[in-house]
Amino acid sequence: MKLKLKLALFNLLSKLAFAGIFMLLMSFIIQRINLRQIDNDLVNKREQVISLISEIGIEPFITSDSSDAFGSYDILKEEFVSLEKVSLAEDLNQIEVATRLIEGEEIEYRVLNYSFKIDEQTYLLEVGKSLHSIFHAEKNTRNVMLLFLIFIISITFLTDISYNNLLLRPLEAIKNKLKKIPDPALFDKTPVKTTTSDFQRLDSALTELMENINTLFKKEKEITVNISHELLTPVSVLRSKLENLLLRVDLDQDIENKIEESLKTLHRLQTLVNSLLLIARIESHQYLREENFSVREVLQEIIKEINPIAEDAVIILKQEMNDDLLFKGANRSLIFSMLYNVVNNAVKNTPSPGEVLVKCIKSGSSFSVMISDTGKGMTESQKSKLFSRFKMREKNSGDGTGIGLAIAKTIADFHKIEVSVTSAPEKGTNFSFIFPINS
Amino acid sequence: MNVLIVEDEKSLALEIADFLKSHNFLCDLAFNGMDASEKIAINLYDFVLLDLGLPDYNGLDLIKEAQKNNSEASFIIITARGAIEDKVKGLDLGADDYLAKPFALTELLSRINAVARRKFKITNPDVTLGDFVVQVQSRKLICKGTEVELTKKEYDLLQYLVLNYNKVLTRQQLYEHIWGNMLDDQYDSNFIDVHIKNLRKKLNSHAPTPWLETVRGVGYRISIEEDK
Repeated sequence: MKLKLKLALFNLLSKLAFAGIFMLLMSFIIQRINLRQIDNDLVNKREQVISLISEIGIEPFITSDSSDAFGSYDILKEEFVSLEKVSLAEDLNQIEVATRLIEGEEIEYRVLNYSFKIDEQTYLLEVGKSLHSIFHAEKNTRNVMLLFLIFIISITFLTDISYNNLLLRPLEAIKNKLKKIPDPALFDKTPVKTTTSDFQRLDSALTELMENINTLFKKEKEITVNISHELLTPVSVLRSKLENLLLRVDLDQDIENKIEESLKTLHRLQTLVNSLLLIARIESHQYLREENFSVREVLQEIIKEINPIAEDAVIILKQEMNDDLLFKGANRSLIFSMLYNVVNNAVKNTPSPGEVLVKCIKSGSSFSVMISDTGKGMTESQKSKLFSRFKMREKNSGDGTGIGLAIAKTIADFHKIEVSVTSAPEKGTNFSFIFPINS
Repeated sequence: MNVLIVEDEKSLALEIADFLKSHNFLCDLAFNGMDASEKIAINLYDFVLLDLGLPDYNGLDLIKEAQKNNSEASFIIITARGAIEDKVKGLDLGADDYLAKPFALTELLSRINAVARRKFKITNPDVTLGDFVVQVQSRKLICKGTEVELTKKEYDLLQYLVLNYNKVLTRQQLYEHIWGNMLDDQYDSNFIDVHIKNLRKKLNSHAPTPWLETVRGVGYRISIEEDK
């Protein structure tokens, strides 16, 4: 999950949790305040009634003989006062929530019960106040509060997100810088604009790291190139000497063979040095990529080249090339070399009679070249060493140095071509090259 | 023909000179740039074999100097630097060909011959091999009046062997000539054997080819009796 998303999510959840707790707490507090207010009211009313009774006596409310109770309420049934004769074991002075039936309507009241004695007669005074209006007010308050909270949360959430975005923009920039580069030499060294010191540190550390890697790469390439040149000169001398020797007419067969063997060995050395040079040159971008060509034509050319060898070894070189790609901005001779290496390798490693299939497939937005053989196949461990420069597969079988596939991989990387290999022992090997389709 | 070999690696220069002398070239040697510069200014050469990696001189400058002096010499660059820009620059400056070290001496000869053909408009004489005639100029092989169909590679092989007649060419030399250095790793002696086999099969269906010899363990040779 992206950091931005995580932050936003956390932000939202924490705000919601806070709002929830706030709402619960507030409604509880408001309820308590309201009830206390009502209770105070009720106690005041009771005092008023009691003082009224002590002034004018109980008789105006309850005559001793006729009726036992007195009741009074306002027209909206918001409040009521009732007085009745009761017989109670003990004194009563409490406030409770109770339902009263007034004119056939059940209404919830906060009721104060108060008992008092006049002339040995116990009276119960009830003063009630309807809770309806209070509930209503509470509900309104809650709604207003909720709306307000939602408003505040949305506003702060939006500002937080945009601020986070602003804050994390340098990180995004650093990420993009890393995403784009296939080679540390191409790392964008312009510092990312930010006032956040953490990002500044991260950016400068990365730039420094890339520069270090690049210097190491450059050094390595330089060393490879220099060593190669230093090696090629003596090879050249030896080769000319041996070739001149071979041209002498007075040599006997044995010496001729020995010279030829030396030349072969020398050639292996030359091949190895040249291969390393080639890889170093590709990696240091000495080759241009500015040709446009048909991949199918390259493959047809390769097949034409290799076909005599395949025929001689009783290997059928089949082709299924209905699709084609005009590969743009590439180096034709390098691509030729890459595909040639793999096709030739397939033919070499397939025992006769066998089959090598070269296929071009365009599916959706990808174009791939597949080269499969009915050869010996490889184990997983052989496969993993396939593209490395010096870990040769078993003992060298042909005259190649085993570096051909490493070259192919380097060329593929140089052109952003994806290479994958599937293989199982005795089942053959399948190479796929997935070409980037450029417009 | 006069050749100046500009090469700071003495023993290599001497070997090249040895080889070219045996092919009737007159050879002059320069082991450094100053020496070469003087020699180019004073003498007339048909060819200059130029190593670009001279200790005291940028080899490419020699080409410029020669052009200023209206020298007729054709330059063939030989170098171990092999950087692609060098090659392009060299050819841009008017060098006639470019060979990367290490190269086969026979390849050098073949390049010199090619340049000479262009430059002096030499019409190569047809070469007779038993019942076959190689028409070098038109790149055709004729047997008793009819043309023998050859692939380009087969013809190149034949012509390279003809050019170096009576000398053994190793499979490696043949391979390099036909396929160049690009596919270096794929050098496979089998390649040459297969092509020679196919070539022989084609030729033998017209007439016997005793002149195309396999030199056991070494390579191939075309023998031409020198009496004519």
